[in-house]
Amino acid sequence: MFGINFLSPLFLIGAIAAAIPILLHLFHRKTEVVVDFPTVRLLARAPVQQHRRRRLRELVLLALRVLALVVLALSFARPYFAGASAPESAPLTVIAVDTSMSMTAPGQFDRARQAAARAAASAPSSHAVTLLAFADAASVVVEPTRDRAAIDAALAQLTPGTGGTRYRSALARASEIIGAREASVTIVTDLQQVGWESNDDGGLPEGVDVEVISVGAPAGNVALTSASRQDGRVVAALQNFSNVETRTPVTVIVQGKEIARTEAALAAMGAANVVLNASLPNAGVAEVRIDDARGYQGDNVKEIRLEVAAGSPVAIVVADPTGATGGLYLERALSVAGNGREFDVDVRDGRDVGKWTADEIARMDAIFIVGTRTLDRSGRELLRHYLTGGGRVLVATGPEVDLGTLRDIVGVNLPFADAIVKTPGATMIATDNRHPIFRPFLSPSGALGDVQVQQHRRLMDQRDMTVLARFSGGDPALVEQSVGDGRLLVFTSDLDNAWSRFPLDPAFVPFAVEAARYLTRGASAAGRQEVVKIEESNPAAVTVEEFTNAIERTSRIAIPTTGNVAREAEDRQRWWQIGLVVMLMALAGEALLGRRAT
Amino acid sequence: MAGAARYLDPAIVARLGTIDLKARTIVEGFLTGLHRSPYKGFSVEFAEYRQYLPGDDLATLDWKVFARSDKHFVKKYEEETNLACHLLIDVSRSMGYGSGEITKLQYASYLTGALAYLMHRQRDSFGLIAFDDSISALLPASARSGHLRMVLLALERLKIGGATNVSKPLHDLAAAVRKRGMVVLVSDLLDEPSSVLDGLKHFRYRGTDVIVFHILDPYELKFPFEQAARFRDMETQEEVMAVPGSVRADYIEKMQSLIAYYKRELGLAGIDYCLLETSQPLELGLMSYLMTRRRVL
Repeated sequence: MFGINFLSPLFLIGAIAAAIPILLHLFHRKTEVVVDFPTVRLLARAPVQQHRRRRLRELVLLALRVLALVVLALSFARPYFAGASAPESAPLTVIAVDTSMSMTAPGQFDRARQAAARAAASAPSSHAVTLLAFADAASVVVEPTRDRAAIDAALAQLTPGTGGTRYRSALARASEIIGAREASVTIVTDLQQVGWESNDDGGLPEGVDVEVISVGAPAGNVALTSASRQDGRVVAALQNFSNVETRTPVTVIVQGKEIARTEAALAAMGAANVVLNASLPNAGVAEVRIDDARGYQGDNVKEIRLEVAAGSPVAIVVADPTGATGGLYLERALSVAGNGREFDVDVRDGRDVGKWTADEIARMDAIFIVGTRTLDRSGRELLRHYLTGGGRVLVATGPEVDLGTLRDIVGVNLPFADAIVKTPGATMIATDNRHPIFRPFLSPSGALGDVQVQQHRRLMDQRDMTVLARFSGGDPALVEQSVGDGRLLVFTSDLDNAWSRFPLDPAFVPFAVEAARYLTRGASAAGRQEVVKIEESNPAAVTVEEFTNAIERTSRIAIPTTGNVAREAEDRQRWWQIGLVVMLMALAGEALLGRRAT
Repeated sequence: MAGAARYLDPAIVARLGTIDLKARTIVEGFLTGLHRSPYKGFSVEFAEYRQYLPGDDLATLDWKVFARSDKHFVKKYEEETNLACHLLIDVSRSMGYGSGEITKLQYASYLTGALAYLMHRQRDSFGLIAFDDSISALLPASARSGHLRMVLLALERLKIGGATNVSKPLHDLAAAVRKRGMVVLVSDLLDEPSSVLDGLKHFRYRGTDVIVFHILDPYELKFPFEQAARFRDMETQEEVMAVPGSVRADYIEKMQSLIAYYKRELGLAGIDYCLLETSQPLELGLMSYLMTRRRVL
């Protein structure tokens, strides 16, 4: 169901002006110009305009005038469509479903689905319903809608992952969606205690009803917390999160064949290392598995990469590697990540990009582009195929990047303004601190606010683009968008110390590393193993009452309203521009028709 | 006559006081100009002698005086008056139209008043008949002193009447007039042209000379309207929606055809026709009258 919303609805009052031409039309009908004339009989036989045709023309004129005024008022009211979402003012029921690893116990998530479906079905008919899935971060699975079937369909597709539990992230996201309207929140979770222990912020507005539905936690859980290869043997670390002694088999499987097996005995709430003698090959993946049928299934398996670990191959395309702006800062930042082993950085001269073979470029987990001046045609096409074929690219649009060349590379028209914006001292602000790139900046010591940028390019917001950070003037600083099957990040300033001193700021290294991690996540051909936090394996839970009491209540004024979201949606859609074009067309038509009528 | 610039503008005449003053102003001004023109000498009554000057018509030389005094004198005449003139003025509703400062009726009144004044000066007997679809005012022809005043007073009191029906009053009057004389019709002739012609021919049949002053407003001739409007007939109240730009050429063509018809048909019937726009000087009408009168006498 589509709903039209208005950013400045008061301007709709201006639509009353549409009554003016209607009144004039009616008034004009009564006071139509009548000329007393003696020789009308000479006119009677003249080819005068037919009255009916003239009436029709008058009605068309009237319609055009009314249309022009109504469209003008609508344009000033800044309309936007909230997609399938319900009207922003509609009462809302938020259903937040826990999809963390701790929901992987047998039957646990099925109960969660059923509970969520019941909550959706029992929501008041006047309420729109939205579905949130939360683990480390919360995401909207179904935008506010009155279509209950859409909720059920989404629930059927929902599965738990390997993420941790962060209740406050979910509450903060729910607050954003609720805004100032009447709402209730239903949280479907296992009430895992660890979900309250992360150091983040988030609560619900005062007056929002909360219902917490517990799907229950397993009585105990045995977790395989790590597995590694040591001198031809496999060492598995296990932890028992139950109050009784437990025995569990541990197996090593390579290419579907069990090659080692033992049984571990774990004391209540105890941990143990298990050593398995296994003859492992030097390539492929060995799977270490425990059999814990009652506990979480997400922490029962670990993989061991058998070949010598190599960092994620990342390329930095520069205009001139010997020049002052040769991607040096980015290379140094990425080189220190993971003790120098996380990324395998290749700084590539733009002239040499075209020499890459298709296999070589496909091997890259991510490509950073900080200079395009020396890219030839084959290099551009290679990069475009890489991106649209599923590659991940970050472009820093500094002085070495030519916008025309960039358009060839990304294959889409990025709406950059021609002029470079000079804003000495502009700082960078993350629009969503929970985005993986900005996680390190949650603590004050890593604040992005210290970063100062002297120049940047102005990128207009558009619909298919997500703004991750803005400069203090409001222009986008970091945006993300999909291009074909690939993912593109655009940093609208420079990462080479030419337009800003960002590379010299302490925030630069974490920013570059997290951006690279974000881009390379899951990109490795071998598949990067998702890390399950050990505390997530602990089934210790709070009660519903404790859970409810732990929810921080915030004043509605302090809540980040959906206004910003609405403004972004309106900025992307820009229906007001279409409205003005329609108004001009209506006026042009009116002028033409009016001229013929006189 | 030199240019029309020295004639009195009808709009200026309209600002003068009574119709008496208006008529006198028109006629005196007209005659002042006439004295310097080749049109003097319409009179047949002896007025005075004047010494012959080269260029004078030898027919005016008084041979008896020459025989007595051996000097050349020419005779000057005043016009002899025994002409009964009927001034017919149309007061139908269409005569109330005026795009400028004066209506057609006002123009017709001034013209009729001036003619009456001129006739009075020339000692013609004259009468006044106002009509629309019937005779609404009638002053029989007379040359008595004081008659002019009555005629001018009647002209001043004229009121707009109903629809035009020129033929009926013309036929009525033609039947009533027994003495051979002259009829001056001042009208916009917005009637069936054939009816108008029938009525006027009735006079000619009885030997009466007729002069027709066809009074039209400039807007009737040029139709210079710009805005689309509903045009309402002043007499029948019929309404026609028209866009002037579209119908102007056709209208003007029809109006010119009507004028040409009157001019042609009246000429064939021996009736003088004079088209007067209400923006034109009134003296043009007086001149036409005098030309006709000269022919009659």
